[in-house]
Amino acid sequence: MAEPNCEPAAQKKRVPVQEGLFYQPLSAEERPYLIGGKCSTCGYVSFPRLLVCPRCVKKGTMEEMHISGKGKIDTFSICNAALPGFKAPSIQAYINLEEGARIWSLVTGVEPSDASLKIGTDVELVIGKLREDAADNEIVSYQFRPIKTDPKGKSR
Amino acid sequence: MRDVVIIGVGMTRFGKFLERSLADLGREAVWNTIEDAGIPPKDIQIAYVASSLAYQLTELKGTIGQHVLAAAGFFGIPIINVENACSSGSTALRSACLEVASGNCDVALALGVEKLFCDNTARSAEAMASGTPYAKFGFMFPALYAMNLKKWMTKYGITQRQFAKVAVKNSKNGSLNPNAQFRKPLTIDEVLNSRVIAYPLTLYMCSTMGDGAAAAIVCTRQTARKYTARHPIEVAACELVSGTVTLPDQPHEPLETRAAALAYKKAGIGPEDVNVAEVHDGMAPAELMIYEELGLCQAGESGSMIDEGKTDITGPVPVNPSGGLAAKGHPVAATGLAQVAEIVWQLRGEAGGRQVKNPRVGLTENAGGWVIDDNAACAVTILKK
Repeated sequence: MAEPNCEPAAQKKRVPVQEGLFYQPLSAEERPYLIGGKCSTCGYVSFPRLLVCPRCVKKGTMEEMHISGKGKIDTFSICNAALPGFKAPSIQAYINLEEGARIWSLVTGVEPSDASLKIGTDVELVIGKLREDAADNEIVSYQFRPIKTDPKGKSR
Repeated sequence: MRDVVIIGVGMTRFGKFLERSLADLGREAVWNTIEDAGIPPKDIQIAYVASSLAYQLTELKGTIGQHVLAAAGFFGIPIINVENACSSGSTALRSACLEVASGNCDVALALGVEKLFCDNTARSAEAMASGTPYAKFGFMFPALYAMNLKKWMTKYGITQRQFAKVAVKNSKNGSLNPNAQFRKPLTIDEVLNSRVIAYPLTLYMCSTMGDGAAAAIVCTRQTARKYTARHPIEVAACELVSGTVTLPDQPHEPLETRAAALAYKKAGIGPEDVNVAEVHDGMAPAELMIYEELGLCQAGESGSMIDEGKTDITGPVPVNPSGGLAAKGHPVAATGLAQVAEIVWQLRGEAGGRQVKNPRVGLTENAGGWVIDDNAACAVTILKK
């Protein structure tokens, strides 16, 4: 696989915090997505992906679903405490995804202050740095950031 | 099924004991319990031993129960190790009760033993976050609590000041408890002005790391008569549930409410019959939410309950007379059994300066862990004089 042209050679290696959770774009043209699951019988959507639908509890109904990563802030909190290696303060939130699931995520791209977000703020998925590991790799994970709107009010 | 009674309880003081081993803490709690029960130790036929973070933070990576009980002098009997995050202790008690109720044995021990302090605070903090696999994504329990609280405050007009009152009440209760980790009574201003962890939570509203152990010995009513003339405490219910997943088109029933409903039914009582309760206030404000989830008041009324002092030691429904998790301390797997020990002392009238006036029915609620979008487990125990 060719090196993505968007990443200069000097850049640190970006290691996903967990495999199978999200797609990390290899070029500026691509969009990231979350790897979730959808029940082919009842439509239940999960992220992270569950292999058995908690409503139907039948074998083989949960299919892999790529989640676009558009949603709205359901509730959020500015957290001044962090585990070793993680940034504080952080914005922790629950996001209502367009596809129907409600998921926990960090929010990035704005100052960690109560004024930065509102319940209902439109957010989009980004793959961002969580911390650095001992080998100086960047550990990256799914995060959400408020969608910036241009003066015409259209989504960027 | 046979009636089960608690014949003895005991615990260590909770605190920071860098110089003491897990086995040493367990030994002390077990022997305090044996002495309280007044039974020959060799009459104990089976033991359930709860431990959670000690598996990560001590040198014992397996069979903690056998190691700890060996230090206490126990060999040969069946020993079952139990892990259910913060509700490990209650889970051990439930299994011990079922052994006796089923007729499998007459005398059973439940022990919760835990060590969170080690020589590396970062390691302890990581272990504390390990009740969920999401910690590696940066997930923080206090923020989770805070998010739920903010929604609930908006819905019912509950204030941060009312949350602070919970911490004030519990710190005062803890100051009366010789086993408590923190014995300094706090003022509302001290609680509100302490460092903001995640609004509305401040530092003094949050439980922290602790070491300690607590235990109970259960037996049949008939067996109890053999050992003591003292009135035994009946385990009227000890019910355990796991969390559920929220489905978009269905209301989510809190697992505390589900566990309590099972326990009330089994014990043949309602929430109005509860005279004293020990609840899982990992963060002080959660205590108010738990009043409502257990049915101690109607939805939205918990704020006025704390304002009116209804859950003070002198109130009609005292909650957390021991000081609760923030003041008494929260050595994870020991907490459930320490709650049970407190209720037993309260029902016997042995709680000293924090004694509630003549309670007849007591309740404990002990929840832990996090799976997808709910607690992993919750146990509700009802004890009767």
